[in-house]
Amino acid sequence: MTYHPAHISWLEVEIPGAPESAFHLAPKTIRDVEAILRHATEKGLVVQVWGGGTHSGYGNPVPPDFVMSMERMADVEVWEPDDLTIVVGSGARIETVEAMLVERNQSLALSERPGDATIGGVIAAGISGLRRGRLYPTRERVLEVTMVTGDGRLIRSGGRVVKNVTGYDLHRLAVGAFGSLGVIVSVCLKLWPTPPGAATVLVDDLEQASAIVRPLAVLEVDGQLMVYLQGTEAEIEAQTTQLGGKATPGLDWPPDPTGAWQWSLRVPPAVTTQAVARLPDGWSHLAILAVGEVRAASDSEDGAEGLRSWAEAVGGSLVVTGGDSSVFDPWGTPPPGLELQKRLIAEFDPGRVINPGRLPGGI
Amino acid sequence: MEQPIELHLYSKDASLIRGQPTCVVFPQDAAEVAEVVKLAERHGSPIVARGAGTGLAAGASPTEGGIVLVTTAMNEIDIDPENRTAWVGAGVINLDLSKAAQPFGLHFAPDPSSQSACTIGGNVANNSGGPHCLAEGSTTSHVLGMEVVLAGGDIAILGGQAPDPSGLDLKGLIVGSEGTLGVVTRALVRLLPIEPDVRTLLMSFDTVRDAAQTVSDVIAAGLVPAALEMMDRRMCEVVENWLEAGLPIESEAILLTEVVGETDGVVSQAGVIADIARLNKATDVEIAETPEHRAILWKARKSAFGAIAQLAPDYYLHDAVVPRTRLVETMEAVYAIADRYGLTMANVFHAGDGNLHPLIAFDASDEEANRIVHQAGEEIVAACLRVGGALSGEHGIGVEKRDLMPTNFSDLDLDAQARLKEVFDPVGVFNPHKVLPTGSRCFDFGGVRREVPEGVWV
Repeated sequence: MTYHPAHISWLEVEIPGAPESAFHLAPKTIRDVEAILRHATEKGLVVQVWGGGTHSGYGNPVPPDFVMSMERMADVEVWEPDDLTIVVGSGARIETVEAMLVERNQSLALSERPGDATIGGVIAAGISGLRRGRLYPTRERVLEVTMVTGDGRLIRSGGRVVKNVTGYDLHRLAVGAFGSLGVIVSVCLKLWPTPPGAATVLVDDLEQASAIVRPLAVLEVDGQLMVYLQGTEAEIEAQTTQLGGKATPGLDWPPDPTGAWQWSLRVPPAVTTQAVARLPDGWSHLAILAVGEVRAASDSEDGAEGLRSWAEAVGGSLVVTGGDSSVFDPWGTPPPGLELQKRLIAEFDPGRVINPGRLPGGI
Repeated sequence: MEQPIELHLYSKDASLIRGQPTCVVFPQDAAEVAEVVKLAERHGSPIVARGAGTGLAAGASPTEGGIVLVTTAMNEIDIDPENRTAWVGAGVINLDLSKAAQPFGLHFAPDPSSQSACTIGGNVANNSGGPHCLAEGSTTSHVLGMEVVLAGGDIAILGGQAPDPSGLDLKGLIVGSEGTLGVVTRALVRLLPIEPDVRTLLMSFDTVRDAAQTVSDVIAAGLVPAALEMMDRRMCEVVENWLEAGLPIESEAILLTEVVGETDGVVSQAGVIADIARLNKATDVEIAETPEHRAILWKARKSAFGAIAQLAPDYYLHDAVVPRTRLVETMEAVYAIADRYGLTMANVFHAGDGNLHPLIAFDASDEEANRIVHQAGEEIVAACLRVGGALSGEHGIGVEKRDLMPTNFSDLDLDAQARLKEVFDPVGVFNPHKVLPTGSRCFDFGGVRREVPEGVWV
């Protein structure tokens, strides 16, 4: 505890769930974040950035010197309902923001069951929602990112407009970068309007599900297929009739599978059902069809090596999103362009203080 | 290619800015591109990748000389209907891709007005949009992977059919980078299913304000149509003069909108939009009933830039984008600027995105006209930025808007972008002096300014 400077000590907090060996703090302003990161770079201290802690087990483990919670930078700066955009602090909990947006029938469409997840956390981890096939993944929601680089520079990319090609897309690069370019302090997101009608329809097979050309989502959970529909009330009535099957009004999203280990199996969309068939015995799963994402959970890592080999051979991957990463490599074969990624990160976090090593290839 | 007349053909794109190529090459594949890159690095020669040359920001004009690398020989299409993707050569024409995908019930969503000529490589370089990217997003939302030749002639395959490739999304960064980070030789694109039904609405208004308010109200009502386009009276007149598409030339503004989906959905959405238009004093709401009618309306919209030649030999065009809630006041400001300078201006634009295209017709050979037009253009951009807008919605920065970048970004923002460019292109051969103004990297942040070898662009 000797290393923290007096001028940031008043930011000290307790972050439930965060590694207890580290010092915990929560900046209140962008200036705080800049000061903290400059200090970290000067002293070579490793920072773990903390949102809701829901994805803290995702990626290579990084023992931090201190944990920086974004919980105090959670204000909604601007909500333009008539423009379908919002500017919000990265520490905002998704659930809190959704509760506000629902008044105007709008949604972030980032996560269906966010729990404690924050907007910044979901963006940094590159997690997308179950509606990603129809409403596009998280990266397509992000219009602007303001972040503080590892050496304390405040930079902004993108803009508060829905279509923009001004400059390089650093804001999209920040999605799934685990803070390696900088700590995200605020974002502008594109919102999605929520139509009045919705239904969840249980169907027997994929052929039945394909009666609707572009449903909101088609999920398969441990053998049960579900089609999710959204639109005008007349439209939903017609579509549920067209589909057949047991329909219930509203969108009944399943929880993610739970277990000691959580996995994300990513494959070309056409082999999603094959991927499910290859899951080792005892694994539970949730598959997003037409997307190629299978979320799975298990009590042990047995069988994961073989599954990973198959997934990589078909052009996909098997990654650990929660579990003991010291026992099983969370990422598998690193992607191409690793050297380029390393050099890029060095320009943004030269002291490599934010989540160092967490990305594939230990970068 | 070395005949002066041949070289001259590749000296500019569809912008007003010309360069002078040293030579023009037509590589067949990534391996040949890699050889060109190595050669260029050895000699410190710029490489300017070029598709069809339809770009509007001089991104493909060889303003620094060097090699113009034309991608048109890389023109293969390989569709995977099961995965709804296609590997597409950089030189494939946008419309040819959708035509090839059509038998599978699929299409490529980005549809720039130049889609019958522009190439996929150009679309990737500029992150191109088009009327139908309102609901489906620009090119970046549809590029899942790419084959790209990087510095040193390294050929990399980035991304793929599986979702969420691990690590930093380098492919996403290269989309929209205007050929400044490498040369994309093939792209793996997402194809969307063709929707079962469609309604196209043509709505007429007595004032631009009423039309712009309708756009704001449609978005505020929670509708995201497939497209929502505006044309003003002057634009309608020149298009009608040429095409006779049935556009109402007595109206001050028209909106062209399209809704897609299952039949019940499109019928009810079209009804809601028509009601909003009438509440905003639409003088006429027409729903295109036949595919032919629909086709001619879209042809009218997409031919607008060509038809402008009736007014003057050249046009100067900005594509700033503003929040949709600020459309009405921005349009009024734009018209006021054109009036003040006595300019001939027509407007045709992606209203649903807030992406303006104020188009000034003039004679570029008249130096004074040139000066005035550019002055007015800068004022238009400033008006857009004042309401929280951005410099370019889909045409790119290139050379044309390069020096306006500091109006959109801070020194630190530009420095970050320049660092990124340096990482990808240490020698500085990929389309140098585009996108970022000179001096972007000179910002000195708390450290020692690095020594840069002579001749390297920073």
